[in-house]
Amino acid sequence: MNLRHLTAKLTIETFATQMGNDMSVGQVQHGSGGPPTAAAPAPGEIVVSGLTKQYRGVRAVDDLSFTVRPGRVTGFLGPNGAGKTTTLRMMLNLVAPTSGWATIGGTRYVDLDQPLRHVGAVLEASSAHKGRTGINHLRVICAAAGLPKSRADEALELVGLTPAAKRKFKGYSLGMKQRLGIAAAMLGDPRVLILDEPANGLDPEGIRWMRGFLKGLAAQGRTVLVSSHLLSEMQLLADDVVIIAAGRLIRQGPVDTVLGSMTTAAAEVKVRTPQAEQLAAALQAAGAAVRPGPDGGLLVTGVDAPTVGRVALQAQVELHELVAERPDLEGVFLELTAGKAGIR
Amino acid sequence: MNLVRSELLKIRTTATWWVLALITFVLWALTTLINWLQTSSLINLGAEATEGLTPEQSEQVLAQSDIANIAANLYTSGQFFGLLMVMLLGAIVVTNEFFHQTATTTFLTTARRTEVIGAKLIAATILGAAFWLVTTVLNLVVGALILAAYDTGSQLGSGAIWRAIGLNALAYALWSILGVGAGVLIRSQIGATITLVMVYLAGYFGAGIFFLAIGDRWGEWFQELQVLVPPLASQLMITGTELPGSPPQWVGAVVLVAYAVVMGVIGTLLVRRRDIS
Repeated sequence: MNLRHLTAKLTIETFATQMGNDMSVGQVQHGSGGPPTAAAPAPGEIVVSGLTKQYRGVRAVDDLSFTVRPGRVTGFLGPNGAGKTTTLRMMLNLVAPTSGWATIGGTRYVDLDQPLRHVGAVLEASSAHKGRTGINHLRVICAAAGLPKSRADEALELVGLTPAAKRKFKGYSLGMKQRLGIAAAMLGDPRVLILDEPANGLDPEGIRWMRGFLKGLAAQGRTVLVSSHLLSEMQLLADDVVIIAAGRLIRQGPVDTVLGSMTTAAAEVKVRTPQAEQLAAALQAAGAAVRPGPDGGLLVTGVDAPTVGRVALQAQVELHELVAERPDLEGVFLELTAGKAGIR
Repeated sequence: MNLVRSELLKIRTTATWWVLALITFVLWALTTLINWLQTSSLINLGAEATEGLTPEQSEQVLAQSDIANIAANLYTSGQFFGLLMVMLLGAIVVTNEFFHQTATTTFLTTARRTEVIGAKLIAATILGAAFWLVTTVLNLVVGALILAAYDTGSQLGSGAIWRAIGLNALAYALWSILGVGAGVLIRSQIGATITLVMVYLAGYFGAGIFFLAIGDRWGEWFQELQVLVPPLASQLMITGTELPGSPPQWVGAVVLVAYAVVMGVIGTLLVRRRDIS
């Protein structure tokens, strides 16, 4: 842990205090001009503003704006084909945006001096020459980035790939390829990490390792942006989420807040009582929607379980069962993005 | 400089270069054998060789049997296939990036893409020069031995020979650059390789037959346009003396430089604009 990380941590804490839990600041000003020169963002902060990519007949990314904060793992969620990869590639100057811009620490990627020292990216697992050894793959990158050769050995050590250093890439398993990709991203000891579907093809052990690794990096004050189409994985990994579908922003914010807001609206409370009519009337008066359940109980939406209990107590209704049915998060996620996903 | 080092490391850490070097060596040995046989027939040329030919044709035959041209031919032996190989190597330097999806990593490491293409051009040129150097060292040994066998002297004191060897080096460098440009235009590894081999061979033999068939019908100036066909231009560069009915050697160099510049610029512009996905 060096001074740079410490500074970053302090900045994050101050930042977090100012912001509270509110993440709705993501909507920065739009426009196709360049990034703003005033109001320098925090080091390591990613700002995406009005990003749009128009392919022939398809708007892959549509006026997308969000921010990614340092010191946290941010999940970039969306169904397959939602435009996640295109967005990440536009951030990294690999794909030219039709309009809008993205900055990393206030600078566009193309303007970064020695980009690998600022940003590490893992975009596809199979991006190495099949006939080249793992260590040589990293040495090639070190040479181009002006990093010492020893960084290649250190990075391999970091991801636990040292035993396979001198094996050719074509002999690597998918998990090893992912690790090599991460090693390549870590060569320049970057403050910002961007990973596209890193859990793809990993076995449970590999996923667990990845989760711990990325959380550790965020704890050091680095910015970690991870795309995925698996909400369940993000629940275990991410602090913040950015959800997109059909190239548009659906939700963004801390994972609990976003998932909470997603679930409250859809949550049902199952209640069983011998005085069903009396309770239904009292709940409706409290603003809830009530319908009969399958086994003589009531299904209540619009209020949470404690409210149902309190209303019952006030109405002096005897309760036999009170269950808050948390809806399946994957289901909610699919509902949120439904009709906007699919093949485009 | 770091980028050139990286590009050379990319080549060194895969098998492509020595596979192509091996093929080049075999083809060089074959070509040199043919040149040896040709040498013996040209040196033993009798008066009957020009019988029945037009004055112009016999002038050309006699020019070819000039000892300067025989020696230049031997000291630049293997050029025809050597150029093809360095061009393929130049193309592979680019197409590898797309074939193995390493373009993403490369352009993440160096966001300014012009620098990447520049480094590839330089690395390919260095590689082309290395192929030339090894071939030339072999030629100097074998060529001198062959010439000594005919008691003609090694001819290495002649400026014309060294000019041919020097222009041959330029040809190797320029064809490497052409290869890089072609690799950008045709991103598919297999597509680029097949296309380049076809165009190179068809261009050489096709153009040769074409100009032979045309003959003097449209005048001598039209024959001189042969130099616009790249493989013919590089052959012109390595002749010992000016051949009758052909432009001077430097014209061949100018033509190839022009091709290399055009291909290099088009390639760079394309790579700067292209989406990497």
